[in-house]
Amino acid sequence: MDILKVNDLSKNYGYIKALKNVSFSVPQNTVYGILGPNGSGKTTLLGIITDVLKQSGGSFQLFEEAPDASHRKKIGTLLETPNFYHYLSAVKNLKITAAIKGRGADDIDRVLDVVDLTKRKDHAFSTYSLGMKQRLAIAAALLGDPDVLIFDEPTNGLDPVGIAEIRELIIKLAASGKTIIMASHLLDEVEKVCTHVAILKQGTLITHGNVNEILVNDDIVVVASSDNEKLKNILINFPGNTMVLLSDNTVKVHLPNGTANLEEINRYCFERGVVLSQLQLRKTSLEAKFMELTN
Amino acid sequence: MLHLLKIEWLKIKSYKAFIIILSFFCVGILASNYMVYSVFSNLSTNQDTQVVVQEFNPFKFSGVWQTVSYISGYLLILPAILLIVLVTNEFTYKTSRQNIIDGLSRAQFIGVKILLAFLLALLSVLLVIATGLFFGFRSGTSFEWTKFSNVGYFFLKALSYNLIAVLMAVMIRRTGFAIGVYFIYMGAENIIAQLLDVWSIKLKNANNIDLGSMGDYLPMSASDGLLAFPNNPFKELAKNAMPTEYFGVTLIMVFFYIILASGLSIRSVVKRDL
Repeated sequence: MDILKVNDLSKNYGYIKALKNVSFSVPQNTVYGILGPNGSGKTTLLGIITDVLKQSGGSFQLFEEAPDASHRKKIGTLLETPNFYHYLSAVKNLKITAAIKGRGADDIDRVLDVVDLTKRKDHAFSTYSLGMKQRLAIAAALLGDPDVLIFDEPTNGLDPVGIAEIRELIIKLAASGKTIIMASHLLDEVEKVCTHVAILKQGTLITHGNVNEILVNDDIVVVASSDNEKLKNILINFPGNTMVLLSDNTVKVHLPNGTANLEEINRYCFERGVVLSQLQLRKTSLEAKFMELTN
Repeated sequence: MLHLLKIEWLKIKSYKAFIIILSFFCVGILASNYMVYSVFSNLSTNQDTQVVVQEFNPFKFSGVWQTVSYISGYLLILPAILLIVLVTNEFTYKTSRQNIIDGLSRAQFIGVKILLAFLLALLSVLLVIATGLFFGFRSGTSFEWTKFSNVGYFFLKALSYNLIAVLMAVMIRRTGFAIGVYFIYMGAENIIAQLLDVWSIKLKNANNIDLGSMGDYLPMSASDGLLAFPNNPFKELAKNAMPTEYFGVTLIMVFFYIILASGLSIRSVVKRDL
């Protein structure tokens, strides 16, 4: 089943086209990353899906039905900034969330514990630090243990320990079979947790699909020897290579995804009189791919 | 419906501004009526005015319903401001967004605010009834239903003020600005109303077209016009009563504005980005 299906979605703010005819689907049990630089339309897209923004064109479906409020009750969402009643405590704010969702009133202590806010649960939201506010927003999304979660920049405002904890939490949630839609401009965040990705640039969907298909085109074998010039000339004739580059103190051999065999390369060089001082397999990094796609 | 009200109650029951403004309103209704009551009590003990005042004492049943409704009407600005604060807060702190994200429909979000405006009007009416009973009995008269219709007009006025406040809050969305515009609008409407009144007189004199005082058909003037201080020898203290033959038109206009303000508020929340 598709949790979300977006058809030709557009959004204009006056003359500015924030989203241009975007279409993709989010299958069940995936961690779907929506990746793009600031201002690429990620939050606009999620805003439309959660009905806080009205689309200028196109449509979308939730749970393969026309979207309505009852679908949103089944989704835990953190959109852009933590939005709470500033004069109420964490517990009182979550009671409102639970009342709106119609479930989760008995789950408040658990979610506050998950985000490590138990000690401050009775203090007013206005006294919280930025990181604590973000944690409360994550707690609100987790309330009632929904099967689908939408996280928009979930690690915003968190310190390095907090970032690591939340990423671990997301991976754990994904492993438990939840569908997670996550917008981020942080590449390694998406790379570490997502199974699928959609890449947005200035409101246009550049590409989307399985992370392994989209983000890893080549295997790159990084090698080095005492004579890299000679090494490069030898490897140019290595069967199956798509490109050999000499850079700084290494030689990079590009091979089709999944075909690199380090042992074979080592033997190939040794048989031709070159002893390797370095031999390492790298996947094309998401960052490199992202830059390639968005520039 | 009850469920939505319960959610609203969770939001406001610990909000200090809500408690303070509502307390001011409750005390204010009693205090303002008591002040006028004291003036009349003093006049009734003064030998020069004793006879006239005893004859026209506006706090006797059944005049008390009209008197208390009229005086309390001046305090209806307080629940209106309270509503502006409550509604604009939702936009300032983006909790309006969060409510929708969590699963309220937009219609439910604005619907319960309109319901709150209705309940605050109802609370105002209960206060007026209690105050009316208190001063009516204190004046040594026995209960009468006559002129109780004024309490109904007071309800319409309260509802009208509250719904205009909700409309301004959802249109403007910023607390200070919305309250400012509410006050400016009240002043501006008075000026426009006077200009329309002058025009009405001109129309009547020049073309023999009698539409009443058209200034009285404006949103706030219309509901103000439903209530007047009872006829008394100190008429200059208060607005004259509406000319009876146009009362029906004014009443229809009040209902029209109540529906219009609700409709525009719903439209604004349902159609616009939050």
